[in-house]
Amino acid sequence: MIDEEIVQSLNSYLSFQLGDEFFAVHVSKVLNILELIPITKVPKSHDSIVGVINLRGSVLAVVDIRVKFKLAHSEYTKDTCILVLQVLIGDEYVDVGAIVDSVHSVLEVDENQILPPLSVGVKYKSEFITGIVKNNERFVMILDIDKFYNLENFTSQVEEIAAD
Amino acid sequence: MAKTVLIVDDSESIREVVSFTLENAGYNVIVAIDGQDAIKHFDGKIIDLLLTDLHMPNMNGIELIREVRKIEAYTRIPILFLTTESQRDKKMEAKDAGATGWIIKPFIPAKLLDAIVKVMR
Amino acid sequence: MDNFQKKFVEEATDLINNLEEALLTLEKKPGDKDLIAAVFRIMHSLKGGGGMFGFDAISNFTHNLETIYDEVRNDRLKITEDLLSITFSAVDHLRNLLNPEALNDKIIKKNHDTLLAKVAQVLKRMSNPESKIQQDSSDNLVGSNEKTYFLQFTPNESIMDNGTNPLFLIEELCGFGTSLIFPRLHKVPLISKLDTNKCYTSWEIFLATEKSAGQLKEVFIFVEDDSQLEIIKLADFNLLTDKDTIEEIEKQFESKDNIDINELNEFVNELDIKRKNLKVTVKEKLNSFTKENIISSIRVDSDKIDQLMNLVSELVTTQASLSLYVEEKQVYELNQLSENIENITRQLRDTAFSISLIPIETMLTRFHRLIRDLSVEFNKNIEFITEGAETELDKTLVQGLTDPLMHIIRNSVDHGIEPEKERIEKGKTPQGMIYLKAYYSGAHVVIKIQDDGKGIDLDVVKKKAIEKNYITADAQLTDKEILDLIFIPGFSTAENITDVSGRGVGMDVVKKKIDEIRGTVDLESKRNIGTTITIKLPLTLSIIDGLLVEINDTKYVMPLNLVDKIYAVQHEKFVKAYNNLVIIDGEQIPFYNLRNEFSVVGQPLEMEQLVTVKYEDKRVGLVVDNVIGEYQAVLKPLGKLYINHDIISGATILGDGTIALVLDTNKIIHEFSFKN
Repeated sequence: MIDEEIVQSLNSYLSFQLGDEFFAVHVSKVLNILELIPITKVPKSHDSIVGVINLRGSVLAVVDIRVKFKLAHSEYTKDTCILVLQVLIGDEYVDVGAIVDSVHSVLEVDENQILPPLSVGVKYKSEFITGIVKNNERFVMILDIDKFYNLENFTSQVEEIAAD
Repeated sequence: MAKTVLIVDDSESIREVVSFTLENAGYNVIVAIDGQDAIKHFDGKIIDLLLTDLHMPNMNGIELIREVRKIEAYTRIPILFLTTESQRDKKMEAKDAGATGWIIKPFIPAKLLDAIVKVMR
Repeated sequence: MDNFQKKFVEEATDLINNLEEALLTLEKKPGDKDLIAAVFRIMHSLKGGGGMFGFDAISNFTHNLETIYDEVRNDRLKITEDLLSITFSAVDHLRNLLNPEALNDKIIKKNHDTLLAKVAQVLKRMSNPESKIQQDSSDNLVGSNEKTYFLQFTPNESIMDNGTNPLFLIEELCGFGTSLIFPRLHKVPLISKLDTNKCYTSWEIFLATEKSAGQLKEVFIFVEDDSQLEIIKLADFNLLTDKDTIEEIEKQFESKDNIDINELNEFVNELDIKRKNLKVTVKEKLNSFTKENIISSIRVDSDKIDQLMNLVSELVTTQASLSLYVEEKQVYELNQLSENIENITRQLRDTAFSISLIPIETMLTRFHRLIRDLSVEFNKNIEFITEGAETELDKTLVQGLTDPLMHIIRNSVDHGIEPEKERIEKGKTPQGMIYLKAYYSGAHVVIKIQDDGKGIDLDVVKKKAIEKNYITADAQLTDKEILDLIFIPGFSTAENITDVSGRGVGMDVVKKKIDEIRGTVDLESKRNIGTTITIKLPLTLSIIDGLLVEINDTKYVMPLNLVDKIYAVQHEKFVKAYNNLVIIDGEQIPFYNLRNEFSVVGQPLEMEQLVTVKYEDKRVGLVVDNVIGEYQAVLKPLGKLYINHDIISGATILGDGTIALVLDTNKIIHEFSFKN
């Protein structure tokens, strides 16, 4: 019984939409899904960081993954929400909010259903994408969010800012 | 006519000693083993005093008197608690539920009788 | 044994069997509420019945067990194996106790005592947290908590209608301690008019007891609606101990119809004075005894301090919500209250912070040792002088400061102070000196580390910077700018890399560490005279007094200690300003329009606010939309994603749950002036 649950959650991914594209992250990375609330902008920060919100008394940085994929900005709607994700930054897990256009469903994915990104010809930086699954005739890209803000990436981003 | 007292206690020996004391003093005694058993007796018959324990299985004393006070015919009868409990909050709870008084166990039969006589006058 | 007792033994045997059964099941299902309730009830029945039928041993024995299971029942205590095994032993023992002669048997008696002790232990562990709350000290010294009360109890005439006998209540009350009772009979009518069903008597009672007024009041719970009751505490000691006083009370008050409270208080005061005079000698002895035991400081677990700080921070935030609410809703009645709370909170905050301050002395021993060891290793002769060791800093700051200071001192020993021979050649004293001075400066603590060594060779620094492509060969830099190059990550001037200042861990690391605790580092160096490093730190990390300002709905906090003045200025004036200078009070003040600098979208207001802040030795203006007011900000970090974002030192959560950003005005001005 318990074993079954673990096996199930091992293969569960939360899918969400950014523009016309569908992405998914492993459910173990998702701590919470919040309604979109006003975000306080932090001046002079990188484009990919939208600002900060108050999450039960602590300050949570909210990012826009879109920027990483150079997707066009879309208007916020009632479906827009913030996924609270646990992301590896440097050698530490940090809670980060990510704005998505809408959250879809939890996909149960069999290991062997995941296709390597190159085989389908993904147009986005494949280092962030660990695989592709087909769901309802749509391709869903599985993200490795730990790669987003890993140390190398992060410092290079800081240098970008410094170089401005 | 002899007055009727309903004694509610889950302990048989307590029921017996209280019954014995009251019967000797000329009261008509009915006994019940817990709240649920006791509530059946409030069916319109005349009960002049309810003497109940606090902690009992199924329905405790406070739950019992809350039920009793809901019944029109019994809103004014005296209700005494006979218990070892002496905590203030329990007393307050009992009072709010509609209790008239509180007798702490163990009791001296003569004193119990005294209290009962007064209550029913 | 009478019939009732026999009946009880029968019943108790069943109860004990049921108890055993319930316990066995409980062992398998320790969380089962129904079982716990059943166990409690059985204990309760045994206790009640035991007392009723003369089995006092059973009654006493189950009393504490009942209390324990009451706690379990109310989720205040968990069932443990230990508790279960004690209870099982108790079950066996209870069976023995059904024999009224049981305790005459030595083995049973011993078993009885052992079990009682075990149960008492469980109880003691359970109530431990409470027992820490001690009674008022003065009373404790005398060893008594007795107080004297005066009660006036006037039942309504009809009180006996529902069966209450006031005498029972008086009796119960007097069981609490020493008493002196004056029944007042003046309302009792002539015999011919007397109604025996009515109560005409009232009572005035002096009672000396350890009970509280609340506990006394409790006696009257069932009659409080049908009577008047007044309870007055007369004294914090027992008035009724000596015969003289009792006689005096009797003489004064017995014959009266009613005791006048004022008269009574006066009487007690007089007594009190007499009593004090009598006791002076005793008290003095007690005082001299306690003086020896006065402790000027205590050790507290640092986790507890952290917890206290967190609570204070929460309080500050909550208080801010209250102030905001009062202001928004214009609740005038609450104004004063809210202001008082604000004041108290501020004081509490300051006191709490002072608790977590520790003198820097605590880390100096390590430095002494370090210098001694390094001096031997490098064959240098160095004296380490400290000043202001008593200067206090937040303990987290001290922790964050130790490493960078160690590094600075190592540098001084390794690269700064010359060998004795070289010093003599230069005409310096043979013994080198490292001087550490700490002092308060406003809301900051400054730590200066100075050496009289060879200083930093600017040419070497410059050469290296060119080599490493940090600057171009033809760059025109001031001496200060050259020195600042040392803080660039990866820059190290050590030509001989020793194991003291290893490769790559240079001043950049020091700067980073100091930055992390919101401090600044400044470097000064003169050839052959020495190097001075100045570290400036905030007094505390987590709460700052700030000025809350607003730009386009976003709120910001500026550190209040840096705010100089606030001026309302026409937007026009800023637009027309030449070279970012505005003339205020006849003085030219450089300004930065934060709306522009922060690239805020939207129209500026016609009338804007210029907040002048202290920057180095100047005043610099920062333009915002609105100034809201003073605000105590609980600083929360922005998080790892903003780690290099130093113009904002953190965020704070406002009363309405939104976030305000805390500006580091020094860094903002530094950055903008550099850019412009």
